[in-house]
Amino acid sequence: MAMLEVEDLKVYYDTAEGAVKAVDGVSFEIEEGENLGIVGESGCGKSTLAKALIGILPQNGYIAGGEIRFRGEDLTEAPERRRRELRWDEISMIAQSAMNALDPVYTIRQQILEAIEAHHNWSRTKSQERIDEMFDLVGLDRERQTDYPHQFSGGMRQRAMIAMSLVLEPSLILADEPTTALDVIMQDQILKRINEIQEASSASMMVITHDVAVVAETCDRVVVMYAGEIAEEGPAAAIFDEPYHPYTLGLKSAFPNIREADQDLVSIGGHPPDLHDPPTGCRFAERCPMATEVCSREDPPEVEVGGLRSYCHHVDDIDTQLRPVADRAETWQNTDAADDRGLADD
Amino acid sequence: MSQKHERSIFADVEEYESDEEFSAWRRNLRLWRSTLSEQWRLLTDDSLVVAAMAILGGFILLAFVAPVVAPHDPLERMYTESGLIAKWIEPSFLGGEGDFLLGTTAQGYDIFSQLVYGARPALLVGFVAAVMTVGIGTMVGLTAGYYGGYVDDFLMRLVDFVYGLPLLPTVIVLVTVLGAGLDSIILAFVLLQWRTSARVIRALVLSLRERAFVKAARVSGASNWRILSRHIAPNVLPMAFLYGAFAIAWAILTEAGVSFLGLGDPNSVSWGVMLQGARVYSAMTEGTWWWFVPPGVCIALVVISGFLIGRGYEEIVNPELQVEQ
Amino acid sequence: MGKLNFFVRRTAQLVVTLWAVATALFMLFRLMPGDPTSYIVSPQMTPEVRQRIIESYGLNDPLWVQYLRYIENLATLDLGRSFNTNSEVSEILATYLPNTLVLMLSAFVLAYAVGVTLGVLTGWYRGSRFEKSTVVTALVGRSIPSFWVGILVIWVFGATFGVIPLSGMTSIGTEPEGFVDMVTSLDFLHHLVAPMLVLAFYYMGYPLLIMRNSMLETLSEDFIDICRAKGLSERAIMFRHAARNAMLPVLTAAAIAVGFAIGGSVLIETVFGWPGIGREMIRAVMRRDYPVAQGTFLVLALSVVLMNFVADLLYGVLDPRVTYE
Repeated sequence: MAMLEVEDLKVYYDTAEGAVKAVDGVSFEIEEGENLGIVGESGCGKSTLAKALIGILPQNGYIAGGEIRFRGEDLTEAPERRRRELRWDEISMIAQSAMNALDPVYTIRQQILEAIEAHHNWSRTKSQERIDEMFDLVGLDRERQTDYPHQFSGGMRQRAMIAMSLVLEPSLILADEPTTALDVIMQDQILKRINEIQEASSASMMVITHDVAVVAETCDRVVVMYAGEIAEEGPAAAIFDEPYHPYTLGLKSAFPNIREADQDLVSIGGHPPDLHDPPTGCRFAERCPMATEVCSREDPPEVEVGGLRSYCHHVDDIDTQLRPVADRAETWQNTDAADDRGLADD
Repeated sequence: MSQKHERSIFADVEEYESDEEFSAWRRNLRLWRSTLSEQWRLLTDDSLVVAAMAILGGFILLAFVAPVVAPHDPLERMYTESGLIAKWIEPSFLGGEGDFLLGTTAQGYDIFSQLVYGARPALLVGFVAAVMTVGIGTMVGLTAGYYGGYVDDFLMRLVDFVYGLPLLPTVIVLVTVLGAGLDSIILAFVLLQWRTSARVIRALVLSLRERAFVKAARVSGASNWRILSRHIAPNVLPMAFLYGAFAIAWAILTEAGVSFLGLGDPNSVSWGVMLQGARVYSAMTEGTWWWFVPPGVCIALVVISGFLIGRGYEEIVNPELQVEQ
Repeated sequence: MGKLNFFVRRTAQLVVTLWAVATALFMLFRLMPGDPTSYIVSPQMTPEVRQRIIESYGLNDPLWVQYLRYIENLATLDLGRSFNTNSEVSEILATYLPNTLVLMLSAFVLAYAVGVTLGVLTGWYRGSRFEKSTVVTALVGRSIPSFWVGILVIWVFGATFGVIPLSGMTSIGTEPEGFVDMVTSLDFLHHLVAPMLVLAFYYMGYPLLIMRNSMLETLSEDFIDICRAKGLSERAIMFRHAARNAMLPVLTAAAIAVGFAIGGSVLIETVFGWPGIGREMIRAVMRRDYPVAQGTFLVLALSVVLMNFVADLLYGVLDPRVTYE
C-alpha cells in the first residue's frame, strides 16, 4: 500500500457563474520516501490539489468526489478533528511565497513553537532543542530565531519556512512552488538543501511547480497536469527525456534546458480551457499541434508507453510527427486557438 | 482581478488613437458607457442598494413637489375653530381635532407640512456639500499626489491640520461666525470634510502614477495635463463618487445636528430644527411622539440610503472586498 | 531613522498643529459678530466703568497684541476668565472635562470591545446571514442621528417607563463629596447608563466595519493558509493571527474616530443634559463667552490631535514592520 493514494479526486469551486472544476478526476500515489513532482501551467489545478490534500481549501472550494487515502485512511471521510491532528504532524507544507507565508507580527520562533504546541505536549527545553536543530539543519543562525519575518531576506524566510515544515518530522511535505519567489542562485541553494534533507529523513515530498527544471532536480516521479486532469505520469527521467504527451513536449520546450545551450524557448499558443465548462474529449486538443477530430470527441485513452502513463489519442505518432519539431516555436503557434497574445502562462 | 485594475480604462483607446481622433472619441464614449452600465448592473444586483435608491429617489421627488403635498405652509400658525392657536394638537388618526395628519407643534405649526418641506434643506445640504467636498478633495488629492515634492508636503500638512479639528464643534464655531443658516452650514462642512477624500485620492494617485500605463504615457511625451485628465482622473473618479455618497450622508447628519443645537436657519424648517423644537418644548415628556419620531425617521432613511449606496459601490470599485475566487 | 528621531519629529509636528489650531481659533473668535461686552457690562454702568472693564479684558488693544498675549497665555495654560461668570476658564474645564471623559471613555471602550469582536466575526463568517444582518445593523447605527436615538430613549425609558433619569449626571439633592465619590455612586451609574449606551451604539459601527474589511484583507493572505495547514484551531487562527493583524488599521481609524466621537458627545451631552465640556462649549458659543468657548474648543481639538499622535506611536509598537521613515 502506498503512503498516499489519491483516487479520482474532484475539487470544485463555487462561483457566481457555476462550479469551476479545478481538479477533475485525478489519481496518483506517493510511496514512502518518494518524491513526486506535479507540473503544469498556473490554473491547471496543481495548487488546488495541494490545498485539498492538506485540507485548506478556501470557503467556496470543496471536494466533489473521489478519495484521498493517507496510510489507508480516507481523509475525505475523516472528521475535521482528525484531519487537524494530521496536519503538519503528518502532512506539512512549504508555501508558494515565503514572503507572505509567515505572520508578520510574530517572531519566527513563536511561529514554529505554535506548530509544536498545536500537536505535542513537549517541554520547553525539548521544543527549543528541536527548533535549534531545525535551524542548524536549514543553515540558519540560531540567534536569529527571535527575529521577525521582515528582518529576514527572501532566502532566509524560505529556509525558516522549511525549518517550520520539518519540525514535527512529517511523513509527507507538500512544497508548493518552493523556489518561485527566489532568485536563481538562491533557488539552487534551497533545492540542494531540500534534497539533502530529503535524503536524511524518510519523508516523502510532493513538489508542485510550473518550472520543469525544479522537478528534474528533485523528483523521482512526475505527474503532468493540464486543465484539472493528468496528462502524463511516470519516472522523472522518462518524462524529461522522452515524453509522449504533446503537452509535456511543449512544456519541456518552454523551459531552458541545462543540457542544450542556445535553445529557442517556445510558448504554447492559446489558453487553457474555461473550467466552468471544460471541453469534451481531450482538454488540450484546442492547443495541440497533433489534434484531430477524434481528440475533441472522445476522452483520450490511458496508454502505457515507454514506462509512462500517457493520456493521448496519438501516442503512436509522437515519435515521427511531433518530437522532431517540438523545439520550434512555430510548431506551437499554428494551432486553431493560437492568437497573438498566446504565451505560456507562468 | 488585478489585471483589470492594472490597465487604464483608456488603455485600448490609446492603442488606436493614432488612427483617427473621431473614432477614438467614439470608443472613449463607448468605454465609459460600458463601464458605467456594468457598474450600474452590479450595483442594482444588490437588493439593499436598489431599496436605498428608491428611498432616496422618493425623497428627491418629495422635495420637488413639497408645495403640492404639504397642506399648509410649514411656518404658518394654525388656529382652531374657536380662534385659538392650534398647539399640541394630536394627529387626526388619533382623533385630534382639525385635520392635521401628524398634529401640530407647541407653536401651532402643522407637523406634516414641516416634515414634507424638511426634505428640501436636507437634500440641498447633502448634495451641494457632497459635490463641493469631493470636488475640492479630489483636486487637492490629484495635485498633491501627482506633483509630489513641496506641493504634496504643503497640502498634506494642511490636511493634517484640518484633521486636528473635531468636525461638529468646528462647524458650530464656524456657523456662529458666518451666521446661522444653511449656506453657513454647507460652507463650514466643506471647509472641514474635503480632508477625507483628499487623503484617499492622493494615495490612489500615488499608486496610479507608478502604473505601467501612466509611465508609458509619460515616456511617449504626453503632457502633465493630458496624463492627469486622460489617465489618472478617470481612474480616480469611482473613488470620488464613493466618497461623494458618504459625504451626502455625513452632510445631512451634520446639518441635522447643528440645527438641533439651535444654530440652524431660524426662518426655515428642517428636520433638525423640528427636533430642536421638540426638545426645547419637552415633547418627550409630553409623549407627543408624532412630533419627534417622524423627522428622525426621515433623517435616518436618507442617511442610510446614502451609506448603503456608497457601500454597494465600494464593493464594486474596491475589488479586494469581494469574495476571492 | 530611529525611534527617538521619529518621536521628536512627530512631537514637533504635534506642537505645530496645536499652534495652527489655536491661531485659527483666535482669528475665528475675533471675527464673531455681536458685541461680547454686552454680556459683561450692563447698560446701567457709567461709561467709565464700562471702559475699565473692557480694558481689563484687553479688548481694546490691537489684534496682534491680543494675539501675542493669547499665545503667551496658552503656553502658560492661562485661558483667561469667563465673560459670563468671571471664573477661571481652567477651573471650568477642570470641572467639566472629567465628566465628559467618563462618559466618552466608557462608551468608547464598550463600543470598541463589541465593535471589534463583531468585526472579527463578520469578517470570518463572510457571506453568512449573521454577517449581512450585523453589517446592516452597524450601518443603521451609524446613520441614525445619535441625538435622535437619545430623544427616543428619554421618551421611552425616561418619560414613559421612568426607569432612567430624564437629564443630568446626578440626582438633585445628592451631594457627592468629590469626583471619585460621585463616579462610584449608584446614582451616577444610573444617570450614566443611557447616554453611554446611546453613544456606544453610535461609535460601534465604525470599528466594526473597518475591522471587517481589514479581516477580509488579512484572511486572503498566505500566512492564514499556513496557519490552517499547521493544524491550529479556528479560534487560534481567527483571533491570534487574523484579528491581530487586522487590528492595525482599526487603531489608526480609532484615532480619527475620536474626532467624530467628540462631535457625537457634544450632541449626546446636550440631549441628556450631561454637564460635560461639549455642552459647555455650545452654551459658551451661544452666549459669546469667548474665553470659555475657546478653552473648551481647544480641549476638544487637543484630544483629537493627541489621539492621532498616540495612534502613530502605538502603531509602531504593534507592528514590528514599521521602520519610522
